[in-house]
Amino acid sequence: MEIIRVEDLSKKFILSSSPGTLKEWLISRGKGSANKEFWALKNINLSINKGQSLGLIGRNGSGKSTLLKIICKILYPTTGSVQVNGKVSSLLELGAGFIPDYTGRDNVYLNGSILGLSREEIDKRFDSIVEFSEIGEFIDQPVRNYSSGMYMRLAYSVAVSSNPEVLLIDEILAVGDSKFKEKGLNRILELKEKGTTIVFVSHSDAMIKKVCDRVVWLDKGLIVGEGTPNDVLPQYAQ
Amino acid sequence: MFETIKELMLYKNLIISLTQSQVRKRYKGSVLGVLWSLINPLFLLVVYGFVFSFLMRGRIENYFLFLFNGLLPWIFFKTSVVMSSNSIVGNAGLIKKTYFPREILPIATVFENLVNFFMGLLILIPALLIFGDGINLMIFWLPVVILVQVVLNLGLALFFSAVTVYLRDMRHILEVLTMAMFYYTPILYTMDMIPERYQPFFKLNPMAPLIDAYRQVLFKKDIPDLGSLLWTFIFSLLILVSGMKVFKHLNRGFAEKV
Ligand SMILES: Nc1ncnc2c1ncn2[C@@H]1O[C@H](COP(=O)(O)OP(=O)(O)O)[C@@H](O)[C@H]1O
Ligand SMILES: [Mg+2]
Repeated sequence: MEIIRVEDLSKKFILSSSPGTLKEWLISRGKGSANKEFWALKNINLSINKGQSLGLIGRNGSGKSTLLKIICKILYPTTGSVQVNGKVSSLLELGAGFIPDYTGRDNVYLNGSILGLSREEIDKRFDSIVEFSEIGEFIDQPVRNYSSGMYMRLAYSVAVSSNPEVLLIDEILAVGDSKFKEKGLNRILELKEKGTTIVFVSHSDAMIKKVCDRVVWLDKGLIVGEGTPNDVLPQYAQ
Repeated sequence: MFETIKELMLYKNLIISLTQSQVRKRYKGSVLGVLWSLINPLFLLVVYGFVFSFLMRGRIENYFLFLFNGLLPWIFFKTSVVMSSNSIVGNAGLIKKTYFPREILPIATVFENLVNFFMGLLILIPALLIFGDGINLMIFWLPVVILVQVVLNLGLALFFSAVTVYLRDMRHILEVLTMAMFYYTPILYTMDMIPERYQPFFKLNPMAPLIDAYRQVLFKKDIPDLGSLLWTFIFSLLILVSGMKVFKHLNRGFAEKV
């Protein structure tokens, strides 16, 4: 069963120097603006079935993060369409959705509700989230005092706790010690067993091979290769 | 639009927890914090009260209570609109990195100011009991009046929060506009003090019948003008529907523009 469908998707960014104001708009009326355009994604077609794990690879700036952000509706396509039939949880950046002034506890609740969980659901999961993150008593400290590893561990623990139907992960496991990396990876594999659909960006061939059934290779916003990890990774390495 | 409402229901927990944390931040979790947030309306009350109770001498009885009764819903209106215009651009971090229905941010700001309005009522009502004519059963109309105002505030908050992403000076413009609107709304005076021929112009203001309704049910202990309240409700609903539409349209660019 298809859970994510991306059709003829293109994304254009407009590189403008400053945010607009009414004053500017009134002054510059009639004159064409000198904004540059940049196509970050061009004509992407993808179909991901339920329970599949897709790896996204490609050099920096090839559009991987942009594609994830469009799938989870942070960004919108310029042309084309995206359809997702399920609850999405995403881990795009370190500490995304964390408010530095709040304690770890408050941030868990805030993030849980951003993921669409009810208060009771978060209550039920709270202890296991804290345990998984290995934050310990720091949970009642403002997260601004956390190290980047602690930040990541807590964010990661919340995101994987919500039993999402679709999980989007962007290079996030690059941080943290190797012990947590392994634990994090095992949790992804567990979710995969349970039928979660995963879209995974990583620069680590080993991780891609462990997690993904299929790999899509992006270059300058175009899909240039697609297939099993064993087929595509060697081509990409060249 | 019904899809948006359905999704917002799913995220009601986020609305509640954002409202709570904003309220907590405002009051800093202490009694002193609560008092502090009431200083602004009380200060306005004292300043305007002294000046205008001389000018209005004899024309309005119990001028301070009359004024306070109008000032509270006005502040609810003004702060909802002005603060929420900052609610999207002020949360760039959340918007760029996570998904949730963006409508929640201006909605939580309106709710935060609604809580603040309730705090004000907790002073106004005892004041009416001690210094005024008390209250009567007409106070049961109060939730209806509040509901109409919440609809109006939400509509404007959604509209201006989205527009501010594209026109960053909107907040300053709103500060000026609301200052002018303060004098255009019968807060310091009553509608019947306006010369007959200018009244149609003053009646275009949706806040005028609302302030009047608040005064009817509290200060005057009387039934509100139901006809004009109904019209204000319909008008506010139209504002809310248009606000949601504009928001939904502009929403597509938020993560790139904030
Ligand atoms: N908000 C934005 N405004 C302008 N350009 C952007 C924006 N986001 C990404 N880009 C550009 O789009 C391209 C693709 O970026 P990204 O998707 O982050 O690549 P990747 O994740 O593969 O490294 C880059 O050239 C980047 O500079
Ligand atoms: Mg990236």
